[in-house]
Amino acid sequence: MDFKFDDKAEELRKKIREFVKDNIPTDIKMGLFVDEHYDEDWAFAMETAKKLSDIGWLTMSWPKEHCGMGASVWERVVMGEESGYWGIPGMGMGVSGTAWVGPSLMLFGTEEQKKKYLPKIASGEDDGVWCTGYSEPDSGSDLASLQCSAKRVGDEYIINGQKVWNSAGHRARWCWLACRTDPNAKRKHDGISLIIVDLQSPGVTIRPIPNIIGAHVFNELFFKDVHVPAENLVGKENNGWAQLMQALAFERGVAISSSAMTRRMLDELIHYAKETGAFAKPEIRHKLVDLAIDIKTLRILAMEAAWKVAKGEMVIHEPSRDKALNDLILEKVGQIGTEIIGAFAQVDPLEKNAGLQRLRGLMEWIYFSTPGMWAAAGTTDTNRNIVAQFGLGLPRGY
Amino acid sequence: MDFGLTKDQELIRKSIREFFEKECPKEKIRELKTDKKGYDPKMWKKLADLGYMGLVIPEEYSGAEGSFLDLMIVMEEIGRNIVPGPFFTTVCQSAPAIEKFGTPVQKKNLLKKIAEKGEITSYAVNEAKADYSAADIQLAATPQGDGFVLNGVKLFVPYANSATHLLVAGRTKKSENPEEGVTLFLVDAKSKGIEIEEIPTAARDMKCEVRFANVGVSKENVVGEIDKGWQIVDYVLQYGAVLKSAEMSGGVQAALDIATRYAKERYQFGKPIGSFQSLQHRLVNMLTEVDGLKNLVYEAAWYMDQGKPDTMLNSMVKVKANNVYHRVCYDAVYIHGAIGWTEEMDISLYLLRSKANENDCGANGVHKERIAMELDRYEPLFLSMRA
Repeated sequence: MDFKFDDKAEELRKKIREFVKDNIPTDIKMGLFVDEHYDEDWAFAMETAKKLSDIGWLTMSWPKEHCGMGASVWERVVMGEESGYWGIPGMGMGVSGTAWVGPSLMLFGTEEQKKKYLPKIASGEDDGVWCTGYSEPDSGSDLASLQCSAKRVGDEYIINGQKVWNSAGHRARWCWLACRTDPNAKRKHDGISLIIVDLQSPGVTIRPIPNIIGAHVFNELFFKDVHVPAENLVGKENNGWAQLMQALAFERGVAISSSAMTRRMLDELIHYAKETGAFAKPEIRHKLVDLAIDIKTLRILAMEAAWKVAKGEMVIHEPSRDKALNDLILEKVGQIGTEIIGAFAQVDPLEKNAGLQRLRGLMEWIYFSTPGMWAAAGTTDTNRNIVAQFGLGLPRGY
Repeated sequence: MDFGLTKDQELIRKSIREFFEKECPKEKIRELKTDKKGYDPKMWKKLADLGYMGLVIPEEYSGAEGSFLDLMIVMEEIGRNIVPGPFFTTVCQSAPAIEKFGTPVQKKNLLKKIAEKGEITSYAVNEAKADYSAADIQLAATPQGDGFVLNGVKLFVPYANSATHLLVAGRTKKSENPEEGVTLFLVDAKSKGIEIEEIPTAARDMKCEVRFANVGVSKENVVGEIDKGWQIVDYVLQYGAVLKSAEMSGGVQAALDIATRYAKERYQFGKPIGSFQSLQHRLVNMLTEVDGLKNLVYEAAWYMDQGKPDTMLNSMVKVKANNVYHRVCYDAVYIHGAIGWTEEMDISLYLLRSKANENDCGANGVHKERIAMELDRYEPLFLSMRA
């Protein structure tokens, strides 16, 4: 056993903190998908992405031949922790780009696709920003029932259909699209393919869906006879489901950065509660203690999963286990945070420079964002289904 | 970062698990509930012969000088198999206190006998409040002649009726700060004036009330410094809290296994009940808690092993263990339905230990206040970036 990071990883942590000192404001409005809403925040995120790219950190875990640094699992973990704690924006390249589009392309993409798309993501430029098209109005948790169709005609696919909840769709150049290529497949899972779509293609319409507090973080996408070159198929035709499950496993690996993000929230809250005197009340400080234990638990679970990855083990149920726990912790942060803020928690968190906001509106932002996080990357309970099946070996019940 | 065990540690786990599976089946645990000693001296002797009593005792006192992590593994396995006996109070509380704070003579007399013969020493700290606070320690230790005279009552002393020695926390001085004036004594359990009576606990896991009426102790039997005993109590509290949590972690790992197996085997509506989502999600939440506790225990134990105890983490681990032990045992019983609420089912043995486990080495109130104190002192990281 060893619960310390190796020297190389700790060196990196020091360098990241230097970077933060020079580039990230300490009062940054960090949080969940906050960058996509305001133009100036998005611009700052992309400016930061470019700087991260210049150092090589944006895609540090990718191999050198694909514009990465070949960083170790533990260096990646440190990057995740630090970006979560300091709220470094721009790490995602439209949420999807660095986290799962790139890694999936490396696993399933053609050489041409790798050459074309990976450098764009790694560059931190607008052309490397992605969104993901999975959910549809009638296909949520039952994702395999998706209907958006891609019909092969000569050298092209013709796409028709609709997608929803596309985070950063309005900022993205590309869409990582799951669509039905075989409507007659016996099992619904067997007729699905992943296709790369240029969102500048004719026939694509993007409409904002204001979220619960009116922030523009996700969208609906409409495809009407959109022509896509056949070479944009990722992996094998009709094998998309297996590839998608792998991509979702990448997507669900949020626990490292999220446990660090929630630890920052906790630190801010404790500091605030000490200043206001709330910390002296046992009922308040015991809630903060409970939250501190939960966050510590999430962190150690995420580390255990990373350790398995570092050993070369497949992690199947662990990211889902940690995602479900993270969902509970987000709720607690929002609840306790807004309780400590008190009446000021009713001020609109989206308002900039609202004098009566406390802690920059972070707590009410988390409070209102949490239900959205519960739905993202598979609902809490959908993820529990995965743990039941693969972690406990229980028979599928639905 | 490495969550894995060494080959030697894997071997310890395998050997001790097989030992308990063979020597301590659940029928024996049930039989011991009505036994006067509450443990199996034959099994205890075998454990001593195999060297487990001296696992972390230094070689010069006939021990194996193993690591804290070795001991953690044994406690996890004791918890998994809910092995009744004085192992925890002797090996995880009394011996480490003597080793760290005892005189050479005390070490030689006590540690050697624990390691070689498996002699039992019980740690006697709880009194009327039984809350691991300094204020709870009121047993009067009055100077007399060349030593002290003890008067008072200790509660929930494990296996005191089989102990050769008692490690007793007494009060040698009244002061504003209750942490001052505590002194520890190594007392011969057969001393005149000691009366021992079994407390009827739900698990019948042998906890005793020990009454001291003018019990004489010589000065040589003071452990550590006079009036400065609180640091020993605190040391044992932390040392024990991590190991008790390891025991509880082993317990909930077993409880989850039992419940999962039952959910696969029990059919209703023509299907295994484990195929129903309501039960699946309950089991998944249990798994998350069990995994979380297990790994937190490992982390805390590793820091202990390195000689750099993380005091906040130690308290967090005990609170986590208290919460998880209750949750998982309750849910595991629930998954069994009505039959889970019977003496007959093994899962009952785990639940019955929940209140003893929760209060041993500190319940949530004690540890949450310790954590809060640390958080109060803590300078948050984000402030370091502010000019």
